[in-house]
Amino acid sequence: MESDNPVSKKSRLVHSVDCTMEEAPCTPVGVNQSLQWAQWQILDSILPTGGFAHSYGLEAAMQSRMVNNQEDLRSFVIQVLENTGSLLLPFVYCASKSPDAAAWVKLDQLLEATLTNEVSRKASTSQGSALLRVAASVFTEIEALQDLRRTFLGSKSVSFHHAPIFGLICGLVGFDSETVQRAYMFVTMRDVFSAATRLNLIGPLAASVLQHQVAPDAERMMQKWRDRDVAEASQTAPLLDALQGCHAYMFSRLFCS
Amino acid sequence: MAEAATGVVRVEKVRGRSALTRCFARYPFKLIAPSKVGPAACDAVWLYALTYGGGIVSGDTVSCTVSVGDGCTAAITTQASTKVYKAVGSKCSQQLLEARVGEEAMLAVIPDPITCFSAARYHQKQVFQVSSNSNLVLVDWFTSGRYENGEKWDFSFYKSVNHIFLGDQPLFIDSVLLEQGSNCSIGKQMQEYNVIAMVVLLGPKLKHIQEQMQDEVRKLMSGQLRPPTSGGSLYTMRTQRAQHPQMPPLVASCSPFGRTGTGMVARVAAVSTELVYSFLRHNLAALQPFLGASPYAAS
Repeated sequence: MESDNPVSKKSRLVHSVDCTMEEAPCTPVGVNQSLQWAQWQILDSILPTGGFAHSYGLEAAMQSRMVNNQEDLRSFVIQVLENTGSLLLPFVYCASKSPDAAAWVKLDQLLEATLTNEVSRKASTSQGSALLRVAASVFTEIEALQDLRRTFLGSKSVSFHHAPIFGLICGLVGFDSETVQRAYMFVTMRDVFSAATRLNLIGPLAASVLQHQVAPDAERMMQKWRDRDVAEASQTAPLLDALQGCHAYMFSRLFCS
Repeated sequence: MAEAATGVVRVEKVRGRSALTRCFARYPFKLIAPSKVGPAACDAVWLYALTYGGGIVSGDTVSCTVSVGDGCTAAITTQASTKVYKAVGSKCSQQLLEARVGEEAMLAVIPDPITCFSAARYHQKQVFQVSSNSNLVLVDWFTSGRYENGEKWDFSFYKSVNHIFLGDQPLFIDSVLLEQGSNCSIGKQMQEYNVIAMVVLLGPKLKHIQEQMQDEVRKLMSGQLRPPTSGGSLYTMRTQRAQHPQMPPLVASCSPFGRTGTGMVARVAAVSTELVYSFLRHNLAALQPFLGASPYAAS
């Protein structure tokens, strides 16, 4: 935050003519406050987006004996986060940067072709459409969201994948692009830990401890993969991908993915 | 790939049969087109893609454009695994393939795996342009290195990109990136596995092979997956710790892709190359009527 101040002062000096223009949107008291309330609500696990129906492959990883204990869980979470960063953050970033319908449709279609694993593809569309429905009902002041939902509801050309919808909504709500990307890593991590507790792999307290320990790694990965174009999106966990695809083969299962 | 490709292949119908009408290759790339891979009655062109020295040295780029004309069948394979040698500085070894598959045509890209040696850097990009009734078989796979010698997941960089476009619409966009120095080392993330493979089957002629493979894989995997005993409670964990539970030696899963589900991709991880060879041999044997020979029959 400290580094922001000199920059804005400098830009004000340089563009002294525009000064009056710039003053106006310069955070009237209240905008920041309401943005924080909106941010917390979007990141809150109580928001009914159905994220907790998904284990991000953890259940399949446990049934194939890849994840057996807390140490395995830590390295699993790190791999999931790395893969989220490399594959999905570009979609989050691009959607948040230009939150308009045309750009979003392109991103959604590209992600549909990119998520070649049916299990994760279905998980992504069910979470994305749920998130849009919730956001359109909650943030009624954002007309673009209502328009988007009206225009594309029932459309066959879009699938409502989670990462671009998340980026789009956060962009429209007013998150800066770094926060959007960090937020996406956060909700992914949150949902994996939630799945791990419900799979009885780790207790709730130990999960919170581990979440705090993994946070610096998540931040490093976010910094590494942030602000990339979708052309660079790659998956980095081929073993997990093959395993997650097995989810539908399991005789008994708790989660959808 | 605009600048001088190292290989150009064109297969067209000549007097009603698939024929190689252009076959150009220059150093370090070489193409061999044996005429007797299958029985004469079978209408398929076979090509072996080779590189001098059996691999690609640092800084070398092998690029090839392939066009399979309407109604033609072509198979591209290799004689042995493609070695990628140690990188000099940050230079990559590269392989690029651009292929067009015509109406009702079939292209089978069925190579042996890529083996990246210690400190190797490898980049591969394959782009396929298909029509709605084109048929494509694509096998893309790589190993951990010379793992029998203890060289496991020791390369520096591996990236493999496979794109399939239907007109200007992306149908299948896949990119796998493994890089040393990430949060979790490649070796740690791969556990006991030494081979990662992907099989793409696309198009109307391959429908029944897709279904067979999906059934086979489902059968194979459902027996291997089971919830941890006693719900994986901490108590059982402690007693089991002495002997780490074994993961399946081969993990595979299939997914349909494309809006109309015309494509299917199988992802495989296995502890050894032989397991994947036998998986491929078994699941692709039904290509024999199209290609005149079964893929990987000799390997």
